[in-house]
Amino acid sequence: MSSRTVEIAPKAGLHARPASKFVEVVQEYEADIKISDPSTEEKPVDAGSMLAITGLGLKKGEEMEIEAEGSDAEEAIDALEEVITTPEE
Amino acid sequence: MRIEGTGITQRKASGKIVKHQDQGFSFNEESDKTVEEDKERFEDARKEAKRQLEEAAEKTGQETEGDEGDIFKAQIQFLNDPQITSNVEEKIEEGLTAEAAIEQGFEGPISQLESQEGRMAERADDLRDIRDRLLGILTGQEGGNLPDISENSIVVAENLKPSDTSEIDQSKVSGLVTAKGSRTSHVAILSKSMGIPAVVGTGTLEGLEDGEKVLIDGENGEIVVDPSEKALEEVEEAEEIEVIEEHVETKDGKKIEVAANVANSGEVGKAAENGADGIGLYRTEFMFLDREGPPTGDEHYKNYVDALNQFPDERIIVRTMDIGGDKPVPYLNLEESDNPFLGKRGIRLAFDEGKDLFDTQIKALLRAAASENGENLAVMFPMITTVEEFEKALERVEELEAELDEEGKDYEKPELGLMIETPSAVQMAGELARKADFLSIGTNDLTQYTMAASRTDSQVSDLQNPLHPSVLRSIKKTVEKGHKNNAWVGMCGEMAGNPELTELLVGLGLDELSMSTGVVPEVKSQADSIEYQRSSDKSEDILNMSSVDEVREKLG
Repeated sequence: MSSRTVEIAPKAGLHARPASKFVEVVQEYEADIKISDPSTEEKPVDAGSMLAITGLGLKKGEEMEIEAEGSDAEEAIDALEEVITTPEE
Repeated sequence: MRIEGTGITQRKASGKIVKHQDQGFSFNEESDKTVEEDKERFEDARKEAKRQLEEAAEKTGQETEGDEGDIFKAQIQFLNDPQITSNVEEKIEEGLTAEAAIEQGFEGPISQLESQEGRMAERADDLRDIRDRLLGILTGQEGGNLPDISENSIVVAENLKPSDTSEIDQSKVSGLVTAKGSRTSHVAILSKSMGIPAVVGTGTLEGLEDGEKVLIDGENGEIVVDPSEKALEEVEEAEEIEVIEEHVETKDGKKIEVAANVANSGEVGKAAENGADGIGLYRTEFMFLDREGPPTGDEHYKNYVDALNQFPDERIIVRTMDIGGDKPVPYLNLEESDNPFLGKRGIRLAFDEGKDLFDTQIKALLRAAASENGENLAVMFPMITTVEEFEKALERVEELEAELDEEGKDYEKPELGLMIETPSAVQMAGELARKADFLSIGTNDLTQYTMAASRTDSQVSDLQNPLHPSVLRSIKKTVEKGHKNNAWVGMCGEMAGNPELTELLVGLGLDELSMSTGVVPEVKSQADSIEYQRSSDKSEDILNMSSVDEVREKLG
């Protein structure tokens, strides 16, 4: 399993359009992808669920942990990191 | 009395209020089916809902660029949300019907979204809408009172969701009022695509009672209850000026046919009212979807004759079934394609898996051409890429004529043409036009295939623009080859309905433009003010540009 901690750049946090984009990218990969809020003890949630990821309430400047398991896990994490570290115009 | 809100679509309309109320759905809680059966019903309902949403997104087309179009996209995303589906499936496993499981399974997610801030809270409405759409599909109930309304209704509601509006007979609605909503709500998109005024976000519906006469003003965002006779007359006069009944020509005398696109015979009347010079695209695929088995020949026949009779003096172009690919038909058992837009769709289905469907449709069309107003019927085939495909379709028409002879049925040969929507068809336009009465350019697909950029992939939306010089040059080439071979050339894609492009399209030499009914009056008044020679010179200039930006600059 691969995992990485990244800082959230978009102004909206992990909500609205960035969240929607995030889910879209998750669905492009085979890997089983979960995300969590490293500042809490809560269990990681399914990254393919818009509802679950927005439920974490992650805001701009906060960290999130992405973990992925599967053949394209690394590529998936790279792509998701890009989404989440790109500030929205 | 006056009520204020945000005005959408700068027009005025008057009519009687019809209040839309959610009536809820009725269904059993406890299931008498197996868990597997209920899960399958849920799965099927989701597939159908997805299809409906994609169709709605396509229907609203260009007007939903940016934020507005995201409504449907976000809804599709929620439809596939694993947390929601597993919620519902758990409830099914507890012995509930799919319906009850959906109702209960959505409760948690809806309140979760409501507890969030700002835009996510608005998404709770999207979830409610998906729930209602799924319940509507499963129960076959409408969940509201909109289907039976009379002419000139002003629909008044707390909020109108896509699932509410898909069942409205649009030809009878002259305006929309909602207590909630903003410029980006679904109701705003609907108002624009129908070309009728709306006032949204009034905050209250107090004072707006069923059956009462009101005037709504989409320009100033105002609703006048019990308006004066004088105000009503003004509205009627304003509307009269906007619709141009007669055919239009450019200042220097070139005739331009401005026609409407429709998806069923019910929309034909509205097109006639808006002054359309006929129907340039009658999409028939909706007759094949949403049902257990294929439509019968008599159903086809009835629809076409109905359309012809509603518009007795104008041409009606029926496009044969454009199904397969992204518009799957459950009873056809088609193999799933990796890339539906490049797979078996349109005419590619007509000679094998879809042969029976195609034959039934063609025979009905041939019979309809012999009906009272049948001489106005024209038929075109979608997704032609090779000359052989078109020849084969023409041959099939002849074979079916022979069959009708044997059956002793009356028939006539309608005008026959084809859609130009692939780069291959553009290259072969001359050869195709030699065998056809007309060509009709479908710009949405032509752009998608020319630019190699999927219509449904927002990551390549910049490429999805018909103003790319390569697309414009393809249009020009098609017009030239068509005219040289005695075929007239029309356009029935979204591009044709953009009044800002009318001058360019007329200048490119198109004989006919077909568009959403709502924009017909505007495009007609545009065409009226164009000087053909000048627009033709200008379009030559534009064709020499090498980028969208340069094209835009030249357009001014």
